Amino acid sequence: MGVIRFQNVGKIFGPRGSGFEALKDINLEIGDKEFVAIVGPSGCGKTTCLRMVAGFENATDGVVSVDGTPIKRPGPDRAVVFQQFALFPWKSVYDNIDLGLRNLNVSSSERAQRIDAILNLMNLTQYAKHFPHQLSGGMQQRVAIARAYVLDPDVLLMDEPFGALDAQTRVVMQEELVRLARKNPRTVLFITHAVEEAVYLADRVAIMTRAPGRIKEVLDVASVRNAEDWDSHEKIEDVMDLESFVHLRTHIWRSLREEKAAQHA
Amino acid sequence: MKYESVYIITDSLGRRGRVPRRMSIGLATILIVCVLWLAMTTLFGIVPSGRFPSPAETWSALVHVSGRGYGGGDLTLHVYNSLRLVVMGFLFAIATGVPLGLLMGWSRKAEAFINPIFLIIRPIPPLAWIPLAILWLGLGDAAKIMVIWFSAFVPSVINTFAGVRNIDRPVLEAAYMLGMPKFRFVTEVLVPGASPMIFTGLRLSLQASWTTLVAAELVGAFYGIGRVLNVAQQDLYPGMILVGMIAVAILGWGTTRVLGMAEARALRWNTAALAAKG
Repeated sequence: MGVIRFQNVGKIFGPRGSGFEALKDINLEIGDKEFVAIVGPSGCGKTTCLRMVAGFENATDGVVSVDGTPIKRPGPDRAVVFQQFALFPWKSVYDNIDLGLRNLNVSSSERAQRIDAILNLMNLTQYAKHFPHQLSGGMQQRVAIARAYVLDPDVLLMDEPFGALDAQTRVVMQEELVRLARKNPRTVLFITHAVEEAVYLADRVAIMTRAPGRIKEVLDVASVRNAEDWDSHEKIEDVMDLESFVHLRTHIWRSLREEKAAQHA
Repeated sequence: MKYESVYIITDSLGRRGRVPRRMSIGLATILIVCVLWLAMTTLFGIVPSGRFPSPAETWSALVHVSGRGYGGGDLTLHVYNSLRLVVMGFLFAIATGVPLGLLMGWSRKAEAFINPIFLIIRPIPPLAWIPLAILWLGLGDAAKIMVIWFSAFVPSVINTFAGVRNIDRPVLEAAYMLGMPKFRFVTEVLVPGASPMIFTGLRLSLQASWTTLVAAELVGAFYGIGRVLNVAQQDLYPGMILVGMIAVAILGWGTTRVLGMAEARALRWNTAALAAKG
């Protein structure tokens, strides 16, 4: 299970009344094994949404819950992939991935098995003994994704995970994440400001307004993807060429541009 | 302080290939200074021997203190006593200072409690504690260990504290996310994360330990290099004074070297990380 629910969620940084109102009346339900991306103008509070599910921030109003339990603190059932990777630089790739399993008191033989499997899946086996800084940005983020996936979490939270990568690496990672997510589905909340990325990866895309952020619109991408059989195309550029893809992308672009325009007015 | 540590680490490990060359330049410099010393004192007599000893006088002072002994003991006894006190005071200081720095870095509450006391005590020069220490504990080892502790404690607390505060926020959040038990969080995240700064603190603590020890021994001691310096000053014995000074220099260098080796070992990941950044 792993149903994320935002019920009338609001977030104010600082004192009520004079503080900064980041989020207002957020209502969103993410079903079990559903992949939802949130896009929005910068500063709209999309990352705050993710941080509340992770347990790094508390909602000022309303309730954020997973499987009906309100979230109080961070935990390994909600694994986070950070934009800046956030690996432990003093631990090898293997030990970075191992740490969460040790905390869960998984037996050592099972740990070795699970780590080998995830290293293999993420093409990291030959880098197991490397330190993070010896790897490229894309490889480091692969380690971070492996560190999250190995915990077998109900919920996977990804905060602009490819934002710090160069364009080529980014495409490769997006394709890999699609493969991983289809093979091994999880409930995923994915934050991004890249529209194509959201449409390519997610089952549904939620568009947010400028601050105080609200959910403006939720688009059902999965039904279009299945109807048009996007997954038959292996490469991201082939999918991005499809008329149905372009249509959705343009729709989201327009919606975000409206927000941007309103921000400047 | 950070840059200093960067320099020393890359110096002793990062640029291994250049070390022999650097070492030979260093040795050449020392040699030139020795030649100049000989020239100024013995050869041309520009500096009178009452002001600064010649190499020969220094050598005879060294033979004197090593053989017959001087100031209550021979050189080995003095060195042993000074070294023992520095190591004890230093270890005692970091065993208390590093945990306190971790606590203050970790808990805002602890910081709020401890910082005011710290701010009052910090500006007092460690040497100003010597009279009080002697009054309380006499001229023996205990007073000196207490003074060394005072001087070495402060840098280790401050740098450990700063080191914890310097750990990247997302790295800490990743640790919370992974559900770390408290003890493991301290040993596998806080301490390694703060360790580059902790070692900077330890190096400063070690320097402070030697400074204070010699000062404390100058004020009053039965054995030790400071005692040698003190007696030599009263005896108007420049050769012996120089021997004492050189002994402190060598001991300080040696202990720093041992610490540097421990640092290079503990921070292998960081050395390479810094090198990777360029």
